Amino acid sequence: MTTRRRPTTIGQPAERLVSRRAFLARGARSASVVALGSGVAGALVASGASAPTPAGDVRILNYLLLLEYLQEALYAEAVAAGRLRGELRRYARIAGDHEQQHVRALRDILGSNARAKPQTRFGEAVRREGRFVAAALTLEETAAAAYIGQAANLTRERILAVARIVAVEARHAAWIRDYAGRTPAPSAADAAKSARQVERTLARTGFVGRR
Amino acid sequence: MSGDADPAPRVDDGLTLEELDADGALLEAIDSVYGDSRADLLRKAAFGGAALLGVLARPPDATGAPKKDTAVLKFDLVFEYLQSSFYLGAVRVGTVQRMAPEKARWAHVLGAHELAHVAILRKVLGRDAVKKPFFNFRGVTESESAFTRTAVAMEDLTVAMLAGQAPKFENRALVSAVFSLLTTEARHAAWARRIAGFTPVANAFDEPKTLAEVDRVVRATRFIASRPRTRGRGKPRYSG
Repeated sequence: MTTRRRPTTIGQPAERLVSRRAFLARGARSASVVALGSGVAGALVASGASAPTPAGDVRILNYLLLLEYLQEALYAEAVAAGRLRGELRRYARIAGDHEQQHVRALRDILGSNARAKPQTRFGEAVRREGRFVAAALTLEETAAAAYIGQAANLTRERILAVARIVAVEARHAAWIRDYAGRTPAPSAADAAKSARQVERTLARTGFVGRR
Repeated sequence: MSGDADPAPRVDDGLTLEELDADGALLEAIDSVYGDSRADLLRKAAFGGAALLGVLARPPDATGAPKKDTAVLKFDLVFEYLQSSFYLGAVRVGTVQRMAPEKARWAHVLGAHELAHVAILRKVLGRDAVKKPFFNFRGVTESESAFTRTAVAMEDLTVAMLAGQAPKFENRALVSAVFSLLTTEARHAAWARRIAGFTPVANAFDEPKTLAEVDRVVRATRFIASRPRTRGRGKPRYSG
């Protein structure tokens, strides 16, 4: 359990500090990780003004790889913990297998530029069904929105690579929402999330960081 | 359903429903098919992504939308007409009313979404928007099993089409917008699959299809009874 954070004033973005620390998890190369937040957010702001570049692709794909790593780890740990039953267990197995393949696909594209796997701490989310459903829902929705947010910043070749991934993230999200009794498709057009919004969501989960 | 705890959609920071549906055709369609009791809910379901619609419907810059983008969007529009007519058709012939409440809700929401997509694409295309073709679903909308199975195939096909088209847009704003539609259609597909008793996510990747491949599939169904006529790009809308 992470400690509950009090709301902070605009001048003291505690969550951002926490998330920065979270992104600096052991195993990650700090230089590229620091570049992540500002780099990706910067690319978003500049979208339309500057053309996508291979260097930009590396930053963005590494950011998306982080989200894939998190999902892969959640499902792997939840399946290993052995507390999930029935359809939920089937979901975790299938989605886990997909996320593993997404990680591999992004790592293949990134080659030696691929970031390392972050440290994760899922706590009760891999041991209690209700917490697992909430965690899966958050990570799937966040990933889908993150991909939508970055699509236009990628070079054409990479847009195709992520299009075939994001559709699967959305399917996972719909499945787990339906399972949880929520509308699988809540909107006629899904909203994007900026890198900063994604960062904040991840910080709130407390999933990234040392155990 | 009471289980839906989603926050109310925000419509204040994008295009409003009235702006999108200037001629009222969309609202009329929703009201006439779903009746007053459902219309309100479905309007909300359809326009949850209004902020995005704002991005999409931004007037084109001086150079206009690239020709290739327009061609793809026209194809997408025909496809959205096909889907919306399909779900609305199943409502009209009473198939949806005979379904269990959960399944009926699914068909209603998807119909509303596809109607919204039609309205979005018509807005983006403006004068280039193609007219709605005539459809003949050849009895498929009349049986629950044929209807749901065909819905699965149609939604999966839409996902493959959008995944294939997304990288091709010259206009970068359209790339983001099409991603938003792609994930929505992927949700539809997963939902339809669960309704029909299939695994919601069959593969780790949704493989793209070219427009030619999609066109072949659509032609094979013979659902499109007449092709829409395309309005000429340069012609004035009204003569006289």
